[in-house]
Amino acid sequence: MNSTNILIEHIFRHEYGKIVALLINKFGPAHIEKIEDAVQDTLLKAMQLWSYKETPKNPTGWLLRVATNSLIDTLRKDKKTMLREETEAFLKEINSNTEDIHLNTIIGDSQLKMIFACCHPSISQEYQIILSLKLIGGFSNKEIAKALLKKEETIAKAFTRAKKKLRTNVKSLKIPMELGLRSRLNVVLKIIYLLFSEGYRTTSGEVLIKKDICFESIRLALLLTENKYCNQPEVNALIALMCFHVSRFEARIDANNEIVDLEHQDRKKYDRDLIVVGNQYLGLATQQSEEPSGYHLQAAISYCYSIAESFSKTDWNSILDFYDILIKKQRSPVVVLNRLISYNKVHGANQAMNELKLYELSSNFNDSAMYYAVKAELYKDLDQFDKSKMALKRAIKKSNNLLEQKHFSKKISLLEKSRL
Amino acid sequence: MSNFLYLFRGGDASRIQQSPDEMQAHMQKWGTWMGGLKEKGQLVDGLPLNKEGKVVEKAGQVITNGPFAEGAEVVGGYLIVTANHLDEAVEISKGCPIFEHNGNVEVREIMSMDM
Repeated sequence: MNSTNILIEHIFRHEYGKIVALLINKFGPAHIEKIEDAVQDTLLKAMQLWSYKETPKNPTGWLLRVATNSLIDTLRKDKKTMLREETEAFLKEINSNTEDIHLNTIIGDSQLKMIFACCHPSISQEYQIILSLKLIGGFSNKEIAKALLKKEETIAKAFTRAKKKLRTNVKSLKIPMELGLRSRLNVVLKIIYLLFSEGYRTTSGEVLIKKDICFESIRLALLLTENKYCNQPEVNALIALMCFHVSRFEARIDANNEIVDLEHQDRKKYDRDLIVVGNQYLGLATQQSEEPSGYHLQAAISYCYSIAESFSKTDWNSILDFYDILIKKQRSPVVVLNRLISYNKVHGANQAMNELKLYELSSNFNDSAMYYAVKAELYKDLDQFDKSKMALKRAIKKSNNLLEQKHFSKKISLLEKSRL
Repeated sequence: MSNFLYLFRGGDASRIQQSPDEMQAHMQKWGTWMGGLKEKGQLVDGLPLNKEGKVVEKAGQVITNGPFAEGAEVVGGYLIVTANHLDEAVEISKGCPIFEHNGNVEVREIMSMDM
């Protein structure tokens, strides 16, 4: 009945951002809520209809047409001052051009403008991130809450306020050309990386691999490079970083849909093409700048992982060096814990455990699943199996990702086996 | 063997709150479920219904906008399924993804000449 549905991963989320951007670009941020409703309603209709029927050959065109019709209906009912002719022309364009490459160009352009609208300087960074994740990424409040470690209702309230700001401060969408572009770009990059991380690392549910979101993030970053003002070193470094990460995508999960950790990954599954592309962008990023940004450093680290012939041949010294610079630039729990993994390889588990204890005392200590997983690894290296097991159990409790939980359970049973 | 009509009701409230990703996942569950029925030769027909409609009474003297009272009671779609008896039809309906959204399935035997 609908085997084709399985072929299109994440199309709903993907399309949500595209269509919202296109409609806001056309009808203006003043109608943002009606646009959201129209697109949400359209997806709902698609969900119901496509359950019974084949997915249309051109889903974007279908969704765009239905959403536009639905929006125009609403606007007419509200007797808003819409130029009738203009509306008709747009409808006609949508209906005739839905399969055209032309449509992709309009969507790309709309989304680039949309990125900058969401990151308008009059809007706080918190709101910028929420707007972008919602309106470009197509994430739900619940998903964003998990990504930003906040409560769902907090996100919902913030989003409502953020939209109000956007409506008030951004009358029409455009790409900034002025001097402030650089700082606006930094927020844009942060958001793209957040989107990417959501796809790459997974924060919820059974679906570990959200490759679609990763490529969507890369696509957004590539959109930026097409604009000469936006083509900055950090953008290229971020693209490199994302390419190196994604190159290991397929190796991180096995045929049984279980997580494969770095140590056991089949290096043959690493995507060489993506590593080559990543290299090109890292080279470009390095040429463009004198001092490495956080993205440069993370890209370099990810590069080391991606080119390692085996786990034991990983260049831990270089990785640790990069982390040492990175930690001075941006100290976060994730950076601290990731650094510890390489620190353990270079200096041994005893010293690494001391470092971990220092971290436990620090202000940004966060007893996350990752923290317990690292702790378990150190205990294992110290031959303290019971403590390692206990830490893994804590990690399971802290994790809300089924695959991750399974992975930790598997580690526990491996520990038990190793002691027999 | 008889044919049974499944009437799907409710679930709108929680459906509308789904994220795009969740909607797609839900849709795929319906696809898988119905695909399974089709493979087993149990699926005869089925279609989703639009929310808006009219209720015509007294040969058109009274026409009201439907559907109807509470959202929970609106029929959102139907399927026709082949089963040996009502119990089996009920059993089959248990796999329906509508329960994820607190909707329900009304299972009715379609009358046939060979009773």
